[in-house]
Amino acid sequence: MGEGDRQEPAQPLRRELQVLANIPPSIGQRWAARILVLALLAILAATWPFATVKLPEIPAFVPSLAAALFVSDCVTAVLLFGQFSILRQRALLVIANGYLFSALIVVGHALAFPGAFSRSGLFGSGLQSAVWLYWFWHSGLPLAIIGYALVKNTDRAISARSTRLAIGSSVAATTALGIGIFWFVTQHHDLLPVTYVDVQPLSLFRRIIGGVVILVLGGIALCLLWARRRTLLDEWLMVALCALLLEVVLVSILSERHTVSWYAGRFYQLVTATVVMAVLLVEMTTLYADVARSNMLLQHERLLLERAVQAQRREREARLMTGDAVAASIAHEVRQPLTAMVTTADAGLRFIDRSVPNLDKAKEAFRRIVADGHRAGEVVGSIRSNFKSDVRDRAALDLNELIQEAVALGRGELQKHGIVLQAEPNKQLPEVRGNRVQLQQVLLNLIMNAVDAMAAKDEPRILSVKSEAYDGDRVMVSVADTGTGISPQDLDRLFNPLFTTKSDGMGMGLSICRAIVEAHEGRLWFAPNSPRGAVFQFTLRTHDSASADPASAAA
Amino acid sequence: MLYNKDSMTHQPSGFVVAVVDDDQGILRSLEYLLESADHAVRVFTSGTALLESGCLPEIDCLISDVDMPGMDGFGLLRLVHAARPGLPTIFITGYPDTLKQLPPLSGSNPRFFTKPFDGPELLTAVSDALRDSREQRGL
Repeated sequence: MGEGDRQEPAQPLRRELQVLANIPPSIGQRWAARILVLALLAILAATWPFATVKLPEIPAFVPSLAAALFVSDCVTAVLLFGQFSILRQRALLVIANGYLFSALIVVGHALAFPGAFSRSGLFGSGLQSAVWLYWFWHSGLPLAIIGYALVKNTDRAISARSTRLAIGSSVAATTALGIGIFWFVTQHHDLLPVTYVDVQPLSLFRRIIGGVVILVLGGIALCLLWARRRTLLDEWLMVALCALLLEVVLVSILSERHTVSWYAGRFYQLVTATVVMAVLLVEMTTLYADVARSNMLLQHERLLLERAVQAQRREREARLMTGDAVAASIAHEVRQPLTAMVTTADAGLRFIDRSVPNLDKAKEAFRRIVADGHRAGEVVGSIRSNFKSDVRDRAALDLNELIQEAVALGRGELQKHGIVLQAEPNKQLPEVRGNRVQLQQVLLNLIMNAVDAMAAKDEPRILSVKSEAYDGDRVMVSVADTGTGISPQDLDRLFNPLFTTKSDGMGMGLSICRAIVEAHEGRLWFAPNSPRGAVFQFTLRTHDSASADPASAAA
Repeated sequence: MLYNKDSMTHQPSGFVVAVVDDDQGILRSLEYLLESADHAVRVFTSGTALLESGCLPEIDCLISDVDMPGMDGFGLLRLVHAARPGLPTIFITGYPDTLKQLPPLSGSNPRFFTKPFDGPELLTAVSDALRDSREQRGL
């Protein structure tokens, strides 16, 4: 493998549609086709000794068979036109028209067949008409296959727009050809070379000449197909062609009308007309089942994915608590040891207060109070370290993505209060370095504060969240609302813990936000919005500029 | 002889109080407080533990936390009352807000204490509850 191999441009991914006309046959399908051909040969061999045995004439046989052939040829043609309209290859148009031609001529043949509808055939057909129609009919498919195989060599898809036109004009041309042949053969049968006299064939040579021509055409078609058989359609067209050629051998070379071989030939006609149709229908059903199955799988996967996303969202929502929820949980953690201390102290007092104080029990109470006090101290310590943010938990973050997530978490509240969101992300925003969960908490708190500030007012409610580059190595996020704003006397206390303007708030949100932002070497501040409302802005260092150790930066 | 503060030897009150709380520290402190009033105390870290202990028939009063993982205090009360209708019950809770959404507790009138609570007050509530139930039982 030299350098040249690697320098070749990468092949574009093949995105060809997988339809019946261009899928390769499976090994099973190849074998099925071969076995069918062998079976046809076996039937030929079995019929051979009785080929010339005369059977009774059944007048309805030719018309009823013709009806069956007409229908199946038409169905095959329609299926092939359908394939053409997907793949838009001229070769498919040719073969589809071949089947259409067969369907038309088979009707003409039945009409002209002596003894079928009338003694000598309808529409003024003469003795030669049916035979010549038979030959035209049987040359149609081999010629179409030759055309199909030759066009396929150089085939390029035609434009989508001209597909309908191509189908329409080719159908018109084929129909005109079929009617033209029928007209000529019935109206001018006296001009045709004589093949039959009365109902008996004239001579062996004249009887077989048409058959030989068909066999030669068929042979060429078979060779061409064999040389370029690649697709499922090629494989089964060969089977149809074999059936047609065997029929021609049986009917026009071996014997005359209404013999064993003539009737057997009609069976081959059915095979020719139905085999491609059957395969197309079977494959279509299989493909449809596959599509239905993969669609089902897809639905299932989508459901799983949705569930996973929901579970993830719930988990994130559970972790991302607003300042008040954080405060409530801290309060609970501190309240427990505090309660134990008070209760134990009460018990200790009671032991001392007795007429004979139980000093042992009282001492035990003091020891327990000390232990509970330490427990409370540990709780406070762990809260502190929680907000100090371990440097190891920090990663490069796309702040716009974080904003999107926080907005998504608050979407329910935004909708509930009819708040319009204006997101102005700076698409070229550099990444920041930080703790994902903590920064989410900051964003969610600021958004929720904005929602609360606007929910109280009836004026247009607009929340705008903006991200931008700031001061070279920083980025700034602004969360602006059109709510009640901050009154001047509250400005100084805004970030103090326990300061709140909400009836049910604990006043922890903004102080926690500021603690988190400052732990990230950033700043969080307030500015009035114009004409009304509040803007909370915070900066963070970009990932490239953030120091690995904030302690050294703070020093 | 509930409060025999002045007697030289402290006799057991003869009452059994069960305490349920998932916090060990609170459990220990309550055990201590109730012992100081000479009650016999049984402590459990969950409602399930109480129900499975088999000592439900012998207890005279129940003190339980409201917010606990698994079965909460109200769920516990419902099951306890199925076996011991009218058992005096006192709830202690760290979240006074949850009491606003209190489900109707049929046939019982539990008292509520918010953590941190006053020890003597709780003991008074316990002795009141014990006296009421004793009167009810016609003792």
